[in-house]
Amino acid sequence: PGLLLRGFQSWFRLRLQSRSIGQTENVPPQYPDIVESTEEYKFVERLIPPTRIPSPPKHDGPTPSGWRPPQEPPPALPYMVRRSRMHNVPVYTDITHGNRQMTVVRRIEGDIWALERDVKEHLTQISGKTPLTQVNEVTRTIRIKGYFDKDLKSWFMDKGF
Amino acid sequence: MRGLNGLLRSWSRGGCRLLSTLSDGVLPSNLVVPADLADSSTIVKPSLEGPDLSVIRKCNVAIPSHLKPGQAWLESLRRYEDERLGLVDLHPDVFTVMPRIDILHEVAIWQKNFKRISYAKTKTRAEMRGGGRKPWAQKGSGRARQGSIRSPLWRGGGIAFGPRGPTSYYYMLPMKVRVLGLKVALTTKLAQDDLHIIDTLDIPTDDPQYLVDLARYRHWGSTVLIVDVNETMPQNILQATANLKTINLIPALGLNVHSILKHETLVLTLETVEFLEEKLLWHDVRYTPLYPFKLPYSDFP
Repeated sequence: PGLLLRGFQSWFRLRLQSRSIGQTENVPPQYPDIVESTEEYKFVERLIPPTRIPSPPKHDGPTPSGWRPPQEPPPALPYMVRRSRMHNVPVYTDITHGNRQMTVVRRIEGDIWALERDVKEHLTQISGKTPLTQVNEVTRTIRIKGYFDKDLKSWFMDKGF
Repeated sequence: MRGLNGLLRSWSRGGCRLLSTLSDGVLPSNLVVPADLADSSTIVKPSLEGPDLSVIRKCNVAIPSHLKPGQAWLESLRRYEDERLGLVDLHPDVFTVMPRIDILHEVAIWQKNFKRISYAKTKTRAEMRGGGRKPWAQKGSGRARQGSIRSPLWRGGGIAFGPRGPTSYYYMLPMKVRVLGLKVALTTKLAQDDLHIIDTLDIPTDDPQYLVDLARYRHWGSTVLIVDVNETMPQNILQATANLKTINLIPALGLNVHSILKHETLVLTLETVEFLEEKLLWHDVRYTPLYPFKLPYSDFP
């Protein structure tokens, strides 16, 4: 490898000398300059994801999953339940201690106590007994004992929220 | 509960004046009112012939159909009397959210503590010089049994459970909590009549006394925070506020809950309002980040 390096250095010196001689005669370079092309970048650009969640497309009739868009304009009730950022009804299940099952309704605006009354009335009709509920006015949520997420989701969608 | 409902209703109406929450307008006898409370009912403003009620600026982002925009007067710093030049619409999801004081506390405490590194350090009995030899025999001397002269019981000994080395109190609140903190702070300022909107930062002189007199004429409060979008601001206002301690200028990127709560009045320019609405409302409609937002996305600058 030492011999090779010395051989390369002498070859390089010879090339430099030949280059300095050649510039006066305008010899075209053996290797062209590097050319940067930005035309293929469109294939990269279309893979970069967006940050904003798009609004759902307009469906005629029910969707296969049972999802329905919120009613335009919102129903004339003293309360309002806004959809989540993924356009779903904000009813969630919660479980603690392995056996304490709860349902949480979030994103409530307006008169929370009226909504709590209506929810209690509806769930009494369905299950026969009145479920225990907790209203949190600061965080605007209602917590209900037991799993009622499917019933409440369809009830909210029927109401138009 | 009725009082809470009434307070919440008056909050949503956009004003939290002292007397309007009570029906008969008489203060209760056990209410302690500070002497320097700026109650808007005792301040007499000169009545104008017909203030221009046209909305000068509408929100660029769409407002949900069940909400009404918050409103504030457009003012100007150019003259003393430019107080009610028109109405400015403010997006309800930024300027009229629920008044979550617990979130304000969380964000303010986070701002105070996450930068803290305490450098306190004490030596334990292992790090103290000496103390390797047993001072006297275990039995026979009549004194208590001791293993080393640097045990925490001894004078000059190591500290048993003292502070150990630089401790960092760094933690990050979720991005959405910090954003909500800003929204709640802006809501609080608007609801308590401490938010003012101006068109530009141009003032006629670079005399600091002009700004102080203007703030006193308009009953703004003892401390004022003026926010603009760009860092480059007109020379007049930079000169005027350079040596003033109570009136401060910041760019919109430097807006934070601690500064908003520290200053009694918040003054925003129209461009700042647009910037804040755009940035703060984006967090309500964004995906969770696949990779950090500082890397390029297709619709995020």
